Amino acid sequence: MSGRPRASNRNTPTGNMIRDSALGLVPETLESYLALNRAVWESGPLRSAEIEIARLRNARKVGCVFCKSVRYDIARADGLCEDKVELIQDDYLQSALSEREKLILAFTDQYLNDPGSLNDGLKAALQSTFRPEELVHLSLAVAHFNGFSRCAVALGGMPDELPIMEMSVP
Amino acid sequence: MGWVNAGNDRDATLQVVPELAERFAALYRSLWTQRRIPPATLELCRLRLAQLHRSDVELQRSDCEIPASQLDNLTRWESDNCFSVAERACLAFTEVYAMDVQALTDEQADAVKTHFGDAGLVLLVEALGIFDGMTRLSLLWRLPATVQRKTLDE
Repeated sequence: MSGRPRASNRNTPTGNMIRDSALGLVPETLESYLALNRAVWESGPLRSAEIEIARLRNARKVGCVFCKSVRYDIARADGLCEDKVELIQDDYLQSALSEREKLILAFTDQYLNDPGSLNDGLKAALQSTFRPEELVHLSLAVAHFNGFSRCAVALGGMPDELPIMEMSVP
Repeated sequence: MGWVNAGNDRDATLQVVPELAERFAALYRSLWTQRRIPPATLELCRLRLAQLHRSDVELQRSDCEIPASQLDNLTRWESDNCFSVAERACLAFTEVYAMDVQALTDEQADAVKTHFGDAGLVLLVEALGIFDGMTRLSLLWRLPATVQRKTLDE
C-alpha cells in the first residue's frame, strides 16, 4: 500500500470528511455519493449498530486503517460499545454476539470472500432471520462500505495506524 | 429471480428499499454523465471486472455501447490494438484493483493520471468500487442472466 497520496484535494476544507477527501475532486458524483452515504445510515430498516458491525467487519478485512479507526456516534448511541466491537473477529461464531449479529458478519464475509458460492444453509438462515428489505439494506451497505474502503486504500496516503475516532455520519 | 426477494434484476431487487434505491440510482447515473473519463472506457473496466468475477449477469448488462471488437477482445486488452493507451492504463488498474487493492502501485495510478488527471483517477476508483459492488451483489443474490447486451456494431 502506498504511503504517498495518489490524489489530493486542495480545495478549502469544509469540515465534511468525504467532501474534503479526494472524492471532492469529482463534483459530478460527490453530492450523489454523500446522499447515498446518508441514506445507508438513515433510510433503511436495519439499526445503526447493525450497520456499524458490517462496516467494521469490512474495514478489518480490507485493511483500511481509516475505516477501522472510525466509530460513528449514532451506532454507539444505538448500543454498539467497544466491548462488542472487540468481538468482530475471525472467531465471531464462538462469541457472545447475537445470532442476528453473527449472520450480519457471515453475510459480509460471504460478500468479501466468495459472493458466488453462498451455501443453502446460510441462505436459509438469512431468509428466516431478516426481512427482504433488511437483506437489501445490508447488501447495499456492505457494497457501499467496501467500495469506500477500497477507494481509500487505492488512493494511497494511508497511515500505518490511527487512534479510535468518534464522528457523525458525513 | 434471486433469493433475496421477488426481483429478477438489480433495479427490481433494490425497489424494496425505495429511498436507498433512488439514491443509488442517482449515483450510478452520475458515473455515465461525468466528464473525467469517457463512459466507454468505464464500460470496458466494468466488463473486465465482470469477466474476472465470472458474472454472466454483469457481462450481459450494457451501460454504454462499445465496439464489438473491443468486447470480443477484452481478455486480450494488453496486446490487441483496438484498445488505446489510455484504455489500457485503466484496464491495468482495474485488474489489480479486482485482485488485491493493496497491491496497486504508484506507477499504475500515475499511468491513469497521465491521461485523466487526479480527478480521473479518483473517478475511476469510485466507479470501480460501485461496479465491483454490483457485480458481487449480482452473484450473491444469484440474479439470473437474461438480457443480451448491445454493441456499437449491431
